[in-house]
Amino acid sequence: MNRRDALKKSALALGAAAGAPTLLSLLQACAKQDRLTWTPIFLNEDQARFMTAFVDFLLPKTETPGGLDVKADVFIDLMYAKTYDEAGQKYVVSEIEKFNTDCKEKYGNVFAELSVEDKAACFKDHESNSPKYAPKVWGTAVGPQEPVGFYRGLKSMVLWAYFSSEEVGKNILSYDPIPGDYLGCIPLSDVGNTWSL
Amino acid sequence: MANFNIDADKSLTYDAIVIGSGISGGWAAKELCEAGLKTLVLERGRIVEHVVDYPTMNLDPWEHELRGGLTPEQAARHPKGGRSGFIGAFNEHFHANDVENPYTEVKPFMWVRAHQMGGRSLLWGKQTYRWSDLDFEANAKDGHGVDWPIRYKDLEPWYTHVEKFAGISGEAIGLPQLPDSHFLPPMELNCVEKHVKERIEKDFPGRNLIIGRVAHLTEPLNGRGKCQFRNRCDRGCPYGAYFSSNAVTLPAANATGNLTIRPFSIVQSIVYDEEKGKASGVRIIDAETGEDIVYKAKIVFVNASTLSTTQILLNSTSNRFPNGLGNDSGELGHNLMDHTYRIGAMGTVEGFEDKYYKGRRPNGIYIPRYVNLKDGPQSDNFVRGWGFQGGGYRHGWGAGSNQEDFGGEFKDGLMKPGPWEFFITGFAECLPSHENKVYLNKDVLDKWGQPTLSIDAEWGPNELALNKQIRIDAKEMLERAGLKDIHDFDNEHEMGYGIHEMGTARMGGDPKTSVLNATNQVHTCKNVFVTDGACMTSSSCVNPSLTYMALTARAANHAVSELKKMNL
Repeated sequence: MNRRDALKKSALALGAAAGAPTLLSLLQACAKQDRLTWTPIFLNEDQARFMTAFVDFLLPKTETPGGLDVKADVFIDLMYAKTYDEAGQKYVVSEIEKFNTDCKEKYGNVFAELSVEDKAACFKDHESNSPKYAPKVWGTAVGPQEPVGFYRGLKSMVLWAYFSSEEVGKNILSYDPIPGDYLGCIPLSDVGNTWSL
Repeated sequence: MANFNIDADKSLTYDAIVIGSGISGGWAAKELCEAGLKTLVLERGRIVEHVVDYPTMNLDPWEHELRGGLTPEQAARHPKGGRSGFIGAFNEHFHANDVENPYTEVKPFMWVRAHQMGGRSLLWGKQTYRWSDLDFEANAKDGHGVDWPIRYKDLEPWYTHVEKFAGISGEAIGLPQLPDSHFLPPMELNCVEKHVKERIEKDFPGRNLIIGRVAHLTEPLNGRGKCQFRNRCDRGCPYGAYFSSNAVTLPAANATGNLTIRPFSIVQSIVYDEEKGKASGVRIIDAETGEDIVYKAKIVFVNASTLSTTQILLNSTSNRFPNGLGNDSGELGHNLMDHTYRIGAMGTVEGFEDKYYKGRRPNGIYIPRYVNLKDGPQSDNFVRGWGFQGGGYRHGWGAGSNQEDFGGEFKDGLMKPGPWEFFITGFAECLPSHENKVYLNKDVLDKWGQPTLSIDAEWGPNELALNKQIRIDAKEMLERAGLKDIHDFDNEHEMGYGIHEMGTARMGGDPKTSVLNATNQVHTCKNVFVTDGACMTSSSCVNPSLTYMALTARAANHAVSELKKMNL
């Protein structure tokens, strides 16, 4: 019995104990996880499922929207399709496959199907093994920049997709398209969240 | 301010022709038109009308499908300029197509070009500083290059003249090595910049940390609005708050009724009249039709930007000038300079967690040159010096990429500003060297069949010694100012990254060793004036554009006076 079957089984058992409505909602939750709710234009269905799971695990919904609420996964698929050249596209596909292969070896399944605990272990592993971005001045790195690898590159892209979205950029971060003046020293409490632009 | 007169073919004869419409060409056009000269501006690219042709000026990131990302097709147009890291979807249309306009890097040299009306005045950094006699006397003093034929007092009234019209914001502090401009009110330093300023100025007597002096209006001027602190300058400013030819000088020239601007005009050469011993006009190729046309004029101002200007002069051959117009000295194409770039330090400033700022200030701090001053100690390791640019800011959500964290709390934590960061990065003076050169390459032709440029230049030992000291000083200053996690750096960029190309048709007192005289006239063809970066005899360490403006206004007024005296 693989992990996925085990999860289904335990869900059924739990549902049976807790009553029919809960069972139904759990089954629906499982079914929803399996079905892709958007149509990728570059990634295939398995790769898209990975992307959705990655975004959701990195930036889950809390009191503020999650990565999926602002369609960060859909945006990244679009970026792969429209801003990556052929070599770049080949790279991301092979890296997604590699990411999933590693997950299978270490945790028994592709990333999207892992338990919360295994996903966390997987991310922690990548965090400690991924080089960091060099500091930047005027938008480009200062000093040598070793390749950060697929994980940190994707993490960075998901953050960008999330924080540059209209919902977050306009309604959650502090949005001021035409400041009018520069005030160099004001209480943070007058602003609240970080500036979006 | 619509309706430029672009009907150049109604007349083939003008009083003056200006080649190029960037920072210096725009000034030449304004001064000549206002003096009553019928002036033709030849622009190799398209018309870019102020506001009307700024399609991205108001776009938020999410209003662009790719949020500023370039398609591979767009990126492929910029294999050279793209190395700057400054080209994105919001400004790509203001950057030249490198594929249609090839050049050859004999040694690596990044050349950023902007082929449209306004040129790089739409994209420039807008840092504006007067040069001083520390700069104009430098060559004479240490023997590198040739002496400037002018001194600060020659240029001082022209600095004031251009500053009053361009609008320069800054603070007057009376430093001899960085003379004060005619200033609009300065922009503000933020809390951390003020803090670092106090520490550095206390610990390092003779060093000053000041707000950058910039060509941005901090008060309305001549119908232009003040800066709204959006920091979207390189898309074109709807308020006309920063200085560009499009918003400032060309509308003024147009208002006189004396301006004609001809877009899509690729200058092939300046036509030399062997009998009269002067230039008679300019030969162009229409970029769209391929048509060959000669325009005539009494005077020609060459303002195509440093290297393009020299390319035109080199391509302007005649019996009298077989090696390029005005090239008796053999110095045309030589003594290419730039400023060194991206050497410095950065670090974290503790405290000030409850403080923030409002507005996206298109400006930072400046630390004027403090080494090898006129009356100060002189270094044994190098001549000349450097200045620092920099600034303080709070980290935003971008810092999350490096944090070893993920999940809901991580996400919500990134909604709040992170720690304060402060950086300084040096710009060092580059010595004029005959070995640093450009020349025509007839093996590589552009889209219009014209020879292109080969660029053969690299930093010398003095620049490398300056860079070494910049890094040491930057780290030391930040350490003494109490910063943490200090990261010092030298990106070892090749020439070109400073985007301050200077020289290759230098001014000088002696026609045997220079191309231009003290009023920017070609020594041996006096009705041709060169007033862009090509004319520079040395490079100083401060940003050059304000000096191009002042030299241009001065030369244009000299040209008008010489025309009146029938001397040209």
